[in-house]
Amino acid sequence: MKFLGYILRNARRNPVRSLLTIGSIAVCGFLAMVLLSLFSTNTEVRSTLVPFNRVITMSAQGFTQPVPIALVREIPAIDDRSGIHAIVHRESDDKPLVSPFSWYGGKFRGESATFFAQFGVDPDTLFDIYPELTIAPDQLQAFKERPDGTVIGRKLAEDKKLSVGDSFELKGEIYPFDMNLTVVGIFDGPEKRDLRTCYFNWNFLNEGLKRDFQGQGANNSGTVLMRCKSDELVTKLCAAVDEDTKSSDRATKTQTEDAFVSQFSEMIKDLQTYINMVGLAVAFSLLVICGVAMAMSMRERTSEVAVLRAIGFQKGQILFMVLTEAVLIAGIGGFIGTFGTMLLFKFWDISPYTMGFFPFFYIPTTVAVTGFLVSLLVGLLSGLIPAFRASSLPVIDGLRKVV
Amino acid sequence: MAFVPLKYNFRNLSVRWPTTLLTVMVSAIVVACSCVLFGLVDGLMYSQAVSGDPLTLLVMRKGADNETSSNFSIQTAQDLATLKGIAQGRARTAEEAQKGFPDLQDKPLISGELLNIPVMSRSDGSRVNLTIRGATSASPYLRPKFEIVEGRYFNPGTRECIVSRSLVSRFPGTRLGQQFRVSDKEVYNVVGIFTAGSSAAESEVWTGREDLAANTNNDRSVSSTRIRAEDNRSLEALIDSITNESRFGLLPKRESVYYQSQNTTALFLTVIGTVIAVLLTIGALFAAANTMFAAVKSRTREIGTMRALGFSRTAILMSFLLESVVITAVGGALGALVSLLFSNWSFGISDFSSFSERVIQLRFGVLPFAVALGMTLAMGVFGGLFPAIRAVRLDVVKALREL
Repeated sequence: MKFLGYILRNARRNPVRSLLTIGSIAVCGFLAMVLLSLFSTNTEVRSTLVPFNRVITMSAQGFTQPVPIALVREIPAIDDRSGIHAIVHRESDDKPLVSPFSWYGGKFRGESATFFAQFGVDPDTLFDIYPELTIAPDQLQAFKERPDGTVIGRKLAEDKKLSVGDSFELKGEIYPFDMNLTVVGIFDGPEKRDLRTCYFNWNFLNEGLKRDFQGQGANNSGTVLMRCKSDELVTKLCAAVDEDTKSSDRATKTQTEDAFVSQFSEMIKDLQTYINMVGLAVAFSLLVICGVAMAMSMRERTSEVAVLRAIGFQKGQILFMVLTEAVLIAGIGGFIGTFGTMLLFKFWDISPYTMGFFPFFYIPTTVAVTGFLVSLLVGLLSGLIPAFRASSLPVIDGLRKVV
Repeated sequence: MAFVPLKYNFRNLSVRWPTTLLTVMVSAIVVACSCVLFGLVDGLMYSQAVSGDPLTLLVMRKGADNETSSNFSIQTAQDLATLKGIAQGRARTAEEAQKGFPDLQDKPLISGELLNIPVMSRSDGSRVNLTIRGATSASPYLRPKFEIVEGRYFNPGTRECIVSRSLVSRFPGTRLGQQFRVSDKEVYNVVGIFTAGSSAAESEVWTGREDLAANTNNDRSVSSTRIRAEDNRSLEALIDSITNESRFGLLPKRESVYYQSQNTTALFLTVIGTVIAVLLTIGALFAAANTMFAAVKSRTREIGTMRALGFSRTAILMSFLLESVVITAVGGALGALVSLLFSNWSFGISDFSSFSERVIQLRFGVLPFAVALGMTLAMGVFGGLFPAIRAVRLDVVKALREL
């Protein structure tokens, strides 16, 4: 530690070079953080979903095929009949926590493209299935009572400057029926959840389809959402539901919310592979960049190192000092690039600019810490060759050398 | 005005070859990384461009933005066939007849097609939405360069399918003679492998519309209808008559316009690509600047000598700038060459408009190389500029005195 002053001075000896190296690492660190977080936020958020034991039933034929709404009643019946008793029932009225969960995919108020999700649900059970979402009791009551009511996430309300009582028009794209809804509530929830979602009463859409479009597409739900007691029961329930519908012409695929959500990141797997490759390439380039910078510093200091050796410093001490300097410079750049980026996205919400691809964006702590450790490692590795060369140069040669 | 001879730069570069080589390597890596992604963007844009025929109309339900979300009754689709101005099919070539292409001679070139997007497992187990198209006898004649490269065309009504060559090996059961299994009840025999001039159809599996309708219990509707007009005048007339017939509730779009509008994915990739390219350029630029600063510093006396000999400031500025541009240009060219190694790569990307897998062949046209050139120049010029300015501003006498 007593050499710290000397090491710091050395690092500041050529401020331009040190700053450029630090800048290079910080910029690359920023890039790596952003790219890696695109996918790891997804993984991290999915893991927060697991404890709620939610299950989603969709059509075995994919997202474009709906499931019959009758499943909302049939699934609890299957659950009872088979003796699994996986689905949570509400304590007050023993109602099973099952809800239609139907993607509407409409456009908001004449927008040419709308980037927030809209789902038709059962207002009575939704907030019991999602206990982590919070809403004022009177607003929830209004949602349950008003057929054309909708509740929207806090961030959506902020983006669109909406408050309770405002009208909320959605133009159907998948459905021929356009909906004129009214905001009756604004819900909030954990930071790492999509708070740019809108939930409306599934019945309102269904009645509209029956009334105006001869029931075309009516009595269907995109998916059915439910909450279960434990993960062992979840597995059994999924198998039981799919077995029951297998022989019908509307076969289903039932899976945990986690498995359901992960389908979406699996879709862009090739992009993920590419981005990991870029990450590796960046790390390697940084190694080269730091190595070159360190080698240049050491070459300029050859005679000085020789003087140090001549006045009695050990090889190991020289080695240690050079390596510390390299790690210090790389570490400063890495720290700015990783934790700085994390801090930046804590205060800067970029989701409104991502066209709905990322309803929220942040740098997970694990990613930042990993990035920082990698930068330290890069510093250490990049310093190795210059450090060995400096410490092993014969003193006489070093003193004689003209740089 | 006398310029510093180029030989001076090249000699210098070869004297400090380790740092030169490493800097070249860094710029090669960053250019290659960006080139690959822009190769994907280029491939995607090319595919979209060739997919749209200027004389073909794509008719979808009013309000639907893409084929996936559109659907209308089969009766309406049949009504469309009675419109005037629809082009007629050509005679089959002998080869096409032998490969079992449908006979469409003197029949209207109109095709009401049905889409289904099941969730399929790729060969590595990850899941993705795959487009299965219920095609008609006119479908192959409404695609650019549609060719059966192996096997034959499917016979409708016999649970046969043909698979795009880009999908073979990406999905299990897609080779000629194998069974393509969507679910236990939906199984097709693969009887042919097709290509379609890199158009969007190359990400699809085709079967007969009747087969798909029976398998998805959807024998009353189609997703979209393609109509080839005889000429531009009849195209305008067709657009008018379809748009004005309110009982249809349909919106005809020129196929070329439709594919131009499906640009969300290309836009997304371009944004990501630009972010990556800009940040990598800045990172590498700092590295190049570091190398050049070191070059200037170690040659202080030489610069003084050159100034004393009468070389102007401009000549010296140009000389150093040139040296830096040479380093990055070699790197950039190397990087672009390396990226060409990836030109046989096909990249699976989930299309955000149709919500299903698009397999894109990387394409190295103008775009990726423009990016490479831009990055190279930025790195070379901005990386070399400040060191070169420092070289120019040296005081001649002090420089000569420098050790």
